[in-house]
Amino acid sequence: MILVNKDTKLIVQGATGKMGAAHTKRMLNYGTNIVAGVTPGKSGQEVHGVPVYDTVKAAVRQTGANASVIFVPPYLTYDAASEALAAGIKLLVVITEGIPPLDTIKMVQEVKEQNAYLIGPNCPGIITPGQCLIGILPGSIFKSGPIGMISKSGTLTYEIALALTEANLGQSTCVGVGGDPIKGLDYKETLTLFAKDPETKAIVLIGEIGGSAEEEAAAFIKEKIKKPVVGFIAGQTAPPGKRMGHAGAIVSAGKGTAQSKIEALNSAGVKVAKTPAEVATYINAILSPISH
Amino acid sequence: MLVYWADKNIVCTEALTQSFVLKLHGPDQAATLGIDRYSYKSIKILFKGLLVISTEICSKVAKVRICRRTNLNLYEYEAKQIFANYGIPVPPSVRITGAEEIKTKLSAAIKESKLSFPLTLKCQVLTGGRGKAGGIKFAKDTAEAESIASNLLKLKINDLATQSLLIEPKLDIAQELYLAITLDRNQGCAIFIASAEGGIEIESSHNVVTSAILYPYHSYVTRDLAQALDLKGNALVKVADIANKLYQLFISLDLDLAEINPLIITKSGDVIALDGKIIVNDDALDRQPYFKGWLEKHLDGLTAREQKSKLSGLNLVELKGNIGIICNGAGLTMATMDMVKAFGGEPANFLDAGGGSDQAKTLAALEIVQDNPDVKVILLNILGGITACDEVARALVEFVDRHPKRDIVVRLRGNNQDIAEEILAERSVKLFPNIEDAVKEAVSRSHSLVK
Repeated sequence: MILVNKDTKLIVQGATGKMGAAHTKRMLNYGTNIVAGVTPGKSGQEVHGVPVYDTVKAAVRQTGANASVIFVPPYLTYDAASEALAAGIKLLVVITEGIPPLDTIKMVQEVKEQNAYLIGPNCPGIITPGQCLIGILPGSIFKSGPIGMISKSGTLTYEIALALTEANLGQSTCVGVGGDPIKGLDYKETLTLFAKDPETKAIVLIGEIGGSAEEEAAAFIKEKIKKPVVGFIAGQTAPPGKRMGHAGAIVSAGKGTAQSKIEALNSAGVKVAKTPAEVATYINAILSPISH
Repeated sequence: MLVYWADKNIVCTEALTQSFVLKLHGPDQAATLGIDRYSYKSIKILFKGLLVISTEICSKVAKVRICRRTNLNLYEYEAKQIFANYGIPVPPSVRITGAEEIKTKLSAAIKESKLSFPLTLKCQVLTGGRGKAGGIKFAKDTAEAESIASNLLKLKINDLATQSLLIEPKLDIAQELYLAITLDRNQGCAIFIASAEGGIEIESSHNVVTSAILYPYHSYVTRDLAQALDLKGNALVKVADIANKLYQLFISLDLDLAEINPLIITKSGDVIALDGKIIVNDDALDRQPYFKGWLEKHLDGLTAREQKSKLSGLNLVELKGNIGIICNGAGLTMATMDMVKAFGGEPANFLDAGGGSDQAKTLAALEIVQDNPDVKVILLNILGGITACDEVARALVEFVDRHPKRDIVVRLRGNNQDIAEEILAERSVKLFPNIEDAVKEAVSRSHSLVK
């Protein structure tokens, strides 16, 4: 497992809001150790039994929290993230969609300066099945096991996790890095973490059109990653010049096509599946000789 | 045509129980629902004043506004107005929307010595390749200006109609440069892009200079940039100053792109922005009062249905096939399209109804796809994480009752799936638990059906 486990002590920034409260409940039900909520002016209240503090600093001082999930409106997110970093939080998970990129740029720079991790923004979160769920992922479709997953997409991650789980292939940790063009944790960093994690035996990399992160990840895999990787790239039928939902999912001037990503991955020895079920088939083919 | 319309934050988090169609009778009634005058005007123009809204939202919503999923591209004249506001020199100009205005507006500008012949007339369209398409012409007198204007105003460039003409003096150019700021997703920051070759597509330039913009920002980086372009003396100082002003407006207005191409140095040594392109980041629009109400006049290049979806918070991209695809989440929608294609079908569209789609939003999505006459079969693929399947099921019931003959394949899985199955039990909608089975079924029906 990487980044989160049963020892993760989580705070929820924006815990008293609708999204924050609903997902606090879901994360608690999953078994995540949520130690505090933070909403300015609401200290003394509780959200599903979790104490609320006015500031991140106060919450960290009282609880020793080491991770934060942020459910605050887009224009307030940068400030909330800075507050968490200043309070010494080293893992930030930003679910919020619609943060202006100029705010994200500042957020990413501060995260780097603090040697912290940022997952997102505009992401479903992270799960180490059976131990810790941070974000909005549906816990029930995941199961503990040897597969590490990295993805830009939310529901597509669920779809592929479901296919793996149904094929009896559990997951070590699944990380949804988010669909925004500028973001925190990327493929390379996550691949490095999975490479070092003894429980992860194989990695699933889920990408989509736009940018060149998948091509760079392919080059990185070829050079540095010894563990088997299976890929999935969404958007092979996307027309050029159209933004496909995610802010970053666009093919422009012939760059960022699914074809280029698939070719790059193939040339790095990564098999790219055409359907979610095929991801499980490829993983099974890779893992069976190891386990038998 | 029914259109769902509400604040996107509320759409995502509220469980809607009831919805009704509301006809708005004027801005005052709209105001009682928290709809401001500009939003009301858009509803009136685009949706003939019809609004589907839940009773719950009516009582709770403080402010109804447009949900956007695209970036705002500005016309040249709008970009230049912004340049001027921030102190970047632009040529004097007048803008006309009809050839008859040559005699009024242009003549007045000439009388005031604001402009003089020879003049440049430029089509205002939200697309590239204007020069090659004949969208820029020169006129030596009023008669020629009139005949050029009436021709240019009829000109379509990349299928987009010319909205207006920008008329400027023809300047004596000594050198053309390229200068822009954009977001670099690989480096995760904004960057300056400059070239000593202007007036061409930057992709084809061979000596591009870039400079990453880091925090804290220092204006000396613009002098380094100007030096890297081999500029000297006054030109170096002026170009650096313009780059610095471009940075100020890029940051202040939350832009994705601010481009001056070409930035010209005239024979008399002036540095002037001769053409400009600005893309505003859509996620920042709500904190940029300058752009309030601008989205509605910048929807060129989209189909009517794409425009409607955009304004109702759905992400629609239309294609040429006959299988209408609706999913929740962009990645899953793309993957579903790809699978349709892989199994021999042709997607008619990409429609991402978003995470946490509720009854009203799902219904709006179904209606938008239903509205496309090319669609033979609808494939609805919902994997509920935060999306509640029962909400989707209620939308389906309403939709199937409205359009009993519509062929529809539904894959529904996730939260509250059992309730969804109960809701749909009385209708003849078969649910597929598996994505591959649903896709194959939709493809096979798209081949066999004759509509």
